[in-house]
Amino acid sequence: MSLTDRIAQGLESGWKVTDGAHLTENLTTEADVVVVGTGAGGGTTAEILARSGLSVILVEEGRFYYQKDFKMDEQTSYANLYQEGMSRVTRDGAIAILQGRCVGGSTTVNWTSSFRTPAPTLDYWAERFGLEELRPDAMAPWFDGREQRHSMSPWQADPNVNNDILRQGCEKLGYSWQIIPRNVKGCWNLGYCGVGCPTNAKQGALMTTIPGALDNNARLFHSLRADRLVMKQDQIDHLEASAFATDGVTRTGVKVTLKARHFVVAASAIGSPGLLLRSEIPDPNQRIGKRSFIHPVNATVAQMPQRVEPYYGAPQSIYSDEFNFRNGVDGPVGYKLEVPPLHPGMSSGVIPGHGENQINNMAGLPYMQSVIALLRDGFHPESPGGTVSLRDDGSPVLDYPVTDYLWTGIREAFHTMAEIQFAAGADKVRLMHLDSDWYTNWADAKAAINQLPMAPHRARLFTAHQMGGCAMGSNPQDSVVNGFGEHHHVSNLSIHDASIFPTSIGANPQLSVYALAARNSTRLAQKLS
Amino acid sequence: MNNATSDPSDQSQLTNIDRRSFLKTGLGGALFLGTVSVTAGLSGCATQPAGRLSAVGTRMDASYQFRFLTKEDIALFEALLPAMIGPGLPEQPQARNSAIAGTIERIDAGIHKFGPANQKELRRLFDLLNFGLTRVTVARVWSSWPNVTTEEAHAFLERWRTSRIGLFNNGYIALTKISNVAFYGYRDFWHLSGYPGPPQYAVDALPQFQNA
Repeated sequence: MSLTDRIAQGLESGWKVTDGAHLTENLTTEADVVVVGTGAGGGTTAEILARSGLSVILVEEGRFYYQKDFKMDEQTSYANLYQEGMSRVTRDGAIAILQGRCVGGSTTVNWTSSFRTPAPTLDYWAERFGLEELRPDAMAPWFDGREQRHSMSPWQADPNVNNDILRQGCEKLGYSWQIIPRNVKGCWNLGYCGVGCPTNAKQGALMTTIPGALDNNARLFHSLRADRLVMKQDQIDHLEASAFATDGVTRTGVKVTLKARHFVVAASAIGSPGLLLRSEIPDPNQRIGKRSFIHPVNATVAQMPQRVEPYYGAPQSIYSDEFNFRNGVDGPVGYKLEVPPLHPGMSSGVIPGHGENQINNMAGLPYMQSVIALLRDGFHPESPGGTVSLRDDGSPVLDYPVTDYLWTGIREAFHTMAEIQFAAGADKVRLMHLDSDWYTNWADAKAAINQLPMAPHRARLFTAHQMGGCAMGSNPQDSVVNGFGEHHHVSNLSIHDASIFPTSIGANPQLSVYALAARNSTRLAQKLS
Repeated sequence: MNNATSDPSDQSQLTNIDRRSFLKTGLGGALFLGTVSVTAGLSGCATQPAGRLSAVGTRMDASYQFRFLTKEDIALFEALLPAMIGPGLPEQPQARNSAIAGTIERIDAGIHKFGPANQKELRRLFDLLNFGLTRVTVARVWSSWPNVTTEEAHAFLERWRTSRIGLFNNGYIALTKISNVAFYGYRDFWHLSGYPGPPQYAVDALPQFQNA
């Protein structure tokens, strides 16, 4: 068989991989660097440091799933590959949070969209947060490098119908649209990126940087949760971690102590502030967990006259930035338009309804099309973001109040999405909103959108992009790390994930995380070698 | 009270009833929910997982070990699912029972993976619905769940869906989301959404499907 599984081969060849669930007694070990998290940031960091000759330990709370486990099944994947078994929500329950929890992090379950950080965002960071060294020209080589490393290029095949309807609607209305770059190699165009790529085509951390790090002698502990970084004087001395059983949720009681010269935290924009808060890392200005951003997402669904089969084909291949920076970088909120894949479990969970209504909604799935708007939060005084804090059990939770500024954008995005779907020939359109009917023409939809309450719970909101909470900036008064991800106060601590973004970015974040982590890890490797 | 919305009048009345009854309890939202588990525990409601149930009545697969749902929770979902799924459930009694039982097992398996924090939230919600006093005053469901008709269960879901109280909307979303995903996401019911499943040529070609 021509198929080869990089992970199975690596494990065969003797990679140093320890399943926390199999540890029967407490363990202490050490390395030059401990990296917490194996997603876009942690994987990149581990590979670069390991290649430079440093000894590296990777710590991942999720389990090591790979091709043998990826059977294109929603229920097992949501239960195993996502944070809180896909039940993660904001503190008030009003926003569903999609986030990976497995080796490779969210890159194992994302929809492969690969955008550079938009230039207006980087320029805004330079001007507003003193991050001059991140201007677009300075970042370009890092984006180039990561685009190569992860085989990113604009999708070559035709978009699936779901995406093509976004293209057609934009075309009819004179809105700009573009082809999405994807991180795939030999993609079968199946449509199951969100449940773990079944063909190993997706070039996320799982197929690139994690094998790269393990080939270079890095050691991976999975099913092991980083509990607490322990300080000794003004440095971190060690990490305390605890193991989960093979179900990924039950604690076995086994503790692991990891010592290192340097610690890199890359546990996501919810996990990283959580770990720092649990560890009581020096935070004189109380910046940890503040300014968390999520690209709040709202959605509409359309019933099309033609078959859409929104469960098949590359899930995201067309986008529109017509409304993303239209009001300038810091005016009324902008939004990016994309398309989500629709499988039956996910669809039935996100389209609110029950009984006969719901079965009628679901019966139309083969003809269903959906558009999502990703709001660019954090660029305006009325979009200060949310706050990550700790629950009683020490787990992190995001509190994200939706401000009137954002509600205005959400209502506007509902308008845009419904208009696009009708322009592309939709028979009827409904909003992901508890009070929405199906509307059979644009005028009715428009009138309804003007009337419907824009309120938590009633408008269904989602996020697949968590950013901020450990913001970078030149001024320690209002940030946690500097422009290289180095902690302002603890010299052997770096943060290499989306938590360092000082705002959201206005694009799917994986390439932004890869590029910043590559840049910051290259510098860190020089410092430590 | 609130005429800003275009709800039909009967819905507005329901909304007002919701609010009145909710306020009559004299305690604010989350705080109230928080007290229910304690109250339920004191009053003898079993809040321990049902474990392995006997196969009496062929209701459940006796080999399934419940990790989270209690016997009361199972009765709750047995009452809710006919309204939740409606005409999607098979009509033939045995097939219907096994569809309901299987869905409840998958709900339990799903919740097990939610982890402790969200399990705690659901525990509060289920206790509120199962505990007689709060079932009547907050959910306004008069009969105990095994005696609730499909129409009554539907009316309850509608009240929580259309309520202007976010906490009830949140409860509605939680109940429907876990039920819908456990039902529509399962291969036996894919046909109801016209979903053919993963492409057969890929299943035939990929190694992870070969050693079943």
